[in-house]
Amino acid sequence: MKRKNALALVCAILAVSAVFAGGGSDGKKSDGKIILKMGDNLPDRKNGYGAVIETINTEFKAIHPEVEIVTESYQDQPWQEKVKIYATANQLPDVLKYWSFGGMMKPLIDAGLVEKMKIADFKSYGYMAGSLEGNVFDNELYGIPISGDMWVVYVNKGLFKKAGVPVPTTWDEIIASAPKFKAIGVTPMVTNGKEGWPLCELFDNISQRINGDFKRVDSAINRKAKYTDPDFVQAAAYMQKLVKAGVFQENLSTSDYGDARNMFGQERAAMYMMGSWEMSLATDQNFSEPFRNNLDVIKFPVVKGGKGSADDVLAWFGGNYIISSTSKHKDIAYEYVKYLGKRFGEIAWETQACFPAQKVTPRANDTVVSKKLLQIAADAKSTSGTPGLDRSDSVFKEDHQELIRQLCALMITPEEFAKKLDASAARAATQE
Amino acid sequence: MNSLFNNKKVVALLVLPGLCVMLFAIAAPLVISVIFSFVKWAGFGKIRFIGFGNYARLIKDEVFWRSLINVLALILVTVFIQNVFAFFIASMMTKLSGGLSRVLRTIYFIPATLSLVVVTRLWVNIFHPDYGVLNKILRLIGAGDAAKAWLGNPDTALWAVIWIMIWQGFGWALLFFYGGLMTVPKELEEAAIVDGANRGQLYMHVVLPYMMPVVQSIVIIDVISSMKQMEMAYLSTEGGPGNTTQFIALYLYQRAFKYSEYGYGNAISVLFVIIAVGLTLVIQRMFRKSVDQI
Amino acid sequence: MNGMMERKPMIAQKNYVHEMVTLRIFATILLVSIAIAQIFPFVWIFSYSIKKSGDLFGPELLSFPGNPQWGNYYKAFFDGKIPLYLSNTLKIVIPSVAFATILPFMLAYACTRMEWKLKKLVWLLVVVGMTIPIHTTLLPNFIWYRTFRLLDTHLGLIISNVAFSMSFNTIVFSGLLAGIPRSMEEAAFIEGAGYSVILPKIIAPMATTGFVTVGVQTFLSHWNEFIMANTFLSTELKRTLPFSIILFSGQYVSDYAVQFACMTLVALPPLVLYFILSKWILAGVTAGAIKG
Repeated sequence: MKRKNALALVCAILAVSAVFAGGGSDGKKSDGKIILKMGDNLPDRKNGYGAVIETINTEFKAIHPEVEIVTESYQDQPWQEKVKIYATANQLPDVLKYWSFGGMMKPLIDAGLVEKMKIADFKSYGYMAGSLEGNVFDNELYGIPISGDMWVVYVNKGLFKKAGVPVPTTWDEIIASAPKFKAIGVTPMVTNGKEGWPLCELFDNISQRINGDFKRVDSAINRKAKYTDPDFVQAAAYMQKLVKAGVFQENLSTSDYGDARNMFGQERAAMYMMGSWEMSLATDQNFSEPFRNNLDVIKFPVVKGGKGSADDVLAWFGGNYIISSTSKHKDIAYEYVKYLGKRFGEIAWETQACFPAQKVTPRANDTVVSKKLLQIAADAKSTSGTPGLDRSDSVFKEDHQELIRQLCALMITPEEFAKKLDASAARAATQE
Repeated sequence: MNSLFNNKKVVALLVLPGLCVMLFAIAAPLVISVIFSFVKWAGFGKIRFIGFGNYARLIKDEVFWRSLINVLALILVTVFIQNVFAFFIASMMTKLSGGLSRVLRTIYFIPATLSLVVVTRLWVNIFHPDYGVLNKILRLIGAGDAAKAWLGNPDTALWAVIWIMIWQGFGWALLFFYGGLMTVPKELEEAAIVDGANRGQLYMHVVLPYMMPVVQSIVIIDVISSMKQMEMAYLSTEGGPGNTTQFIALYLYQRAFKYSEYGYGNAISVLFVIIAVGLTLVIQRMFRKSVDQI
Repeated sequence: MNGMMERKPMIAQKNYVHEMVTLRIFATILLVSIAIAQIFPFVWIFSYSIKKSGDLFGPELLSFPGNPQWGNYYKAFFDGKIPLYLSNTLKIVIPSVAFATILPFMLAYACTRMEWKLKKLVWLLVVVGMTIPIHTTLLPNFIWYRTFRLLDTHLGLIISNVAFSMSFNTIVFSGLLAGIPRSMEEAAFIEGAGYSVILPKIIAPMATTGFVTVGVQTFLSHWNEFIMANTFLSTELKRTLPFSIILFSGQYVSDYAVQFACMTLVALPPLVLYFILSKWILAGVTAGAIKG
């Protein structure tokens, strides 16, 4: 008897579970609300970009009460991986934060997965010259730009004072300062070494500081030049010099985005090499007030004897927002994107959250960091455009990142690095 | 009587559900994998048929061979270090009182119950060069120079990752060996002792041969689960630095979803199955031979 | 002659006793150290989960704070969406463990105790199936499951979970079932009972240790299953428990304490279950080892 009851109970549980197990939402909740699915690389919803998007979402839902927004957020590289997985599974969210680089947009566009937009709808939103255009492929607009990105170095003035080191303008000064920082138990500089791409930016930037010309990278990709040319090999060797001098954190190759940022925010490092989108460090409540007061940003340093100047800025319009063509709610998604375009720049600058792709009005109470960033942008004599690793296909990008990681882990020589990178660029060029 | 054990309807009812699930969820996808191993495809967009192109490339792919070597290293460490150690500990525990032995067994098995996401993140934090416990301990006992970035250093990364894997697997191995040891009849042991056997001889000539079937199961399980390792490397080092912690399952995942080379990933998948099945058969053959010798 | 024979065992026994004492001391130390090594990581994480994040960088090895920040657990529980993910995990694990226990039992019975033509072939499939890793179906399932609209569903995960547990569980059951004398079924048959009675009422009870071993092992592996759930589930509302830790490594990237609290919370359910059932589990696993 007992067993029969137990069996009956088990069957009941199974039956109930099976009913729920099949559950898949088709985008509509039972109370008739439209669920707009979004995906981005902004896991922190209380600071920076994430906070701006949350504000926009709240405002949008107030205007459109029938809409429910569900967002999933990952860090950078996991998000890029997820997009590929979703594209393969035909499960892309309705609206995605993505990147406007050709190497990333084209595969999706060619597979017909991105919805077209009308450029006229966005002309009045104050986008900086070149930003909207960067999202045009085959004469169609496929996304709206989100940020103006510049490659800079954030510094903690307090730690510099403590170590008795002046704020640097050249990489040679940074190398010289390493022992002084070690003496007070602080890492000189941190960056996200696990994913590799910040080191690729470093490579592009150091190359320019040596050869004085951002277009060299483009030439290498287009096979009018080679990565095995002496200026690039020199840049690779210089990067190893930085690593050997102890400029970066010891666990560079396993230090991911969050880890590096934390080390800087917790004052375990004096410098943080990252992009202008991190200007929200100045308002991040997770970190101490002394830290935030000591925060400053400097132009990417120069290399002594090199041809590049501090006003040659590695800059590009990176992030964008796109709509997937498989979305079941394209109209509402488009309304959202238009609203995003309208409000993002204003809110972003008002809350000093990040550096948008739209023109902003400087204010007296902007943070030290934002004022400096505006200054760096204004002083810029030449800009790079899309970074090297994103100018080609997926395989080249991964190869570039993998090789840079090995270079900085001192596992290969600069010559080997150059040879393999060049081979990958050559392979990519023949794929077309 | 015959009709009882030959009843075709009953057989079908008993066999079909399980069999269908296996065919649907394992066999069919494997066939698809083979098909897609012959194409070049990003996972979306155009598909191009390239025959054996992926396989030709795979033979020359040093990262693939590296990942295979790492799997073999893991198997060797698991079988010869983790298992030997677990056996040693299990045999010690058989001499303890019932209550104490149960408490210890309960404690030892705890890591095995944890999700590998938890286990991996746990050890990533412990291995952290800055705030991790391991380095803190080293500095405390004055061995600060030995403190390093365990997961970031190409020389130590693989061993750190393997350590995480065997730390969790220890509980299972211990329990299996303990169970096996408990079945060895006491009379057999006592008779050998009376005959003047010392500890070593006792184990080599009496206990182990008696436990061969148990040992065989454990080794085969070890081989299979070592080949399945992916999540721990994925969540800690992602195969780096420089592919020193690359494992086959992780590599195929990365080729498909980072490099957008779905076809190539499937080719790795197919080779992986062949290697896994082959390796298991070899091990089974080895055990059969050794059992015959005894 | 007789005297000699009597003395030898006495001496051997004395040496043996000596050995035992020293070994006992050494063994106890070793065993306790290992116990510490097994649970220390967990204790460490727990102690820091109730501190403030910055404290992690201090020089102490392990310390319990004066004012525990239980708020971290509150944040971990709600921002980590633990109730939602927990219910999703349950929705998947309960059916999958149930089916992954019953179906192999049935299959093992047919393969070990019944006579039919394709028996050898099916058994071969079972054995081979055990060597196939989950990850080899990750890629093709995108195509295959997509056709059947199983992507991003809990049902798809249940099916895969069950499929991959079939081989091992069938083998465990077959080991147990093989030893039962045929007379059991024959007697019942003579009394007029069919299989619907014989299997659940007569055979199943004899394989209880098998059910325990299989049930526990399957539960742990399905509960902790990560890569398939992470890859196939796209809707956030459907995600499973391990995912909350991943979620946190992004969102609370600066807040280590909350991350640690989340890890502790996620580790608790199987741990609690394990403590409750530990007697059964240990008995079942050791029994399974012998039959395995």
